[in-house]
Amino acid sequence: MKEKTISNDWTGPDKARAWLVGLAALGVPGLGHLVQKKWARALLLGGAVWGMFFTGLWLGGHLFRLTPNDQGLAALLQLLPMIANAGAGILYIFCWITNTGFADHAQMVTYEYGNTFLLVAGLLNYLAMLDAFDIAAGRKK
Amino acid sequence: MRHLFWMAVFAGLTAVVFGVVAKGSDRQRLFYGLKVFGEFIFIALILGWILYFLPLG
Repeated sequence: MKEKTISNDWTGPDKARAWLVGLAALGVPGLGHLVQKKWARALLLGGAVWGMFFTGLWLGGHLFRLTPNDQGLAALLQLLPMIANAGAGILYIFCWITNTGFADHAQMVTYEYGNTFLLVAGLLNYLAMLDAFDIAAGRKK
Repeated sequence: MRHLFWMAVFAGLTAVVFGVVAKGSDRQRLFYGLKVFGEFIFIALILGWILYFLPLG
């Protein structure tokens, strides 16, 4: 049986490049694969994350953030979904700056779907970031 | 039908990402993505029917 080996002998510039690629992938969904010329993967991953994020907003979902009113357990209940939302990178930051998507639309039938789409969009981008990092580090083709 | 539609959209987009980041050949990853999509739909329908018969109201 063929053994899987993970290369750990990468040099300084390779390491720095892998981290930069990971950062790019986290910042802009799809960019991590785009800069590595993985066109199809960039299109599929970027399209899925961007599509899921905007669909979530359109369905009436809302983004999470910490406010000074959140203390103790309430802060934790906001923090965890906020981390998931923040995985969408620039999309979340843009919404934060423009104060878009943070209002509740609980009257909409698809409100919970929207929330789930927004949360999972961020989580999927974390996966995409790890994939881009692994490719840049030579652990995956 | 609206719920089923959005559930299928969710399953489809998630399956795309799972398929792309999976290891293996293109063909293996395609089938993995399709399998994930099918599992999402199948399990959601099963859970939906289970919840339908539970006296939750």
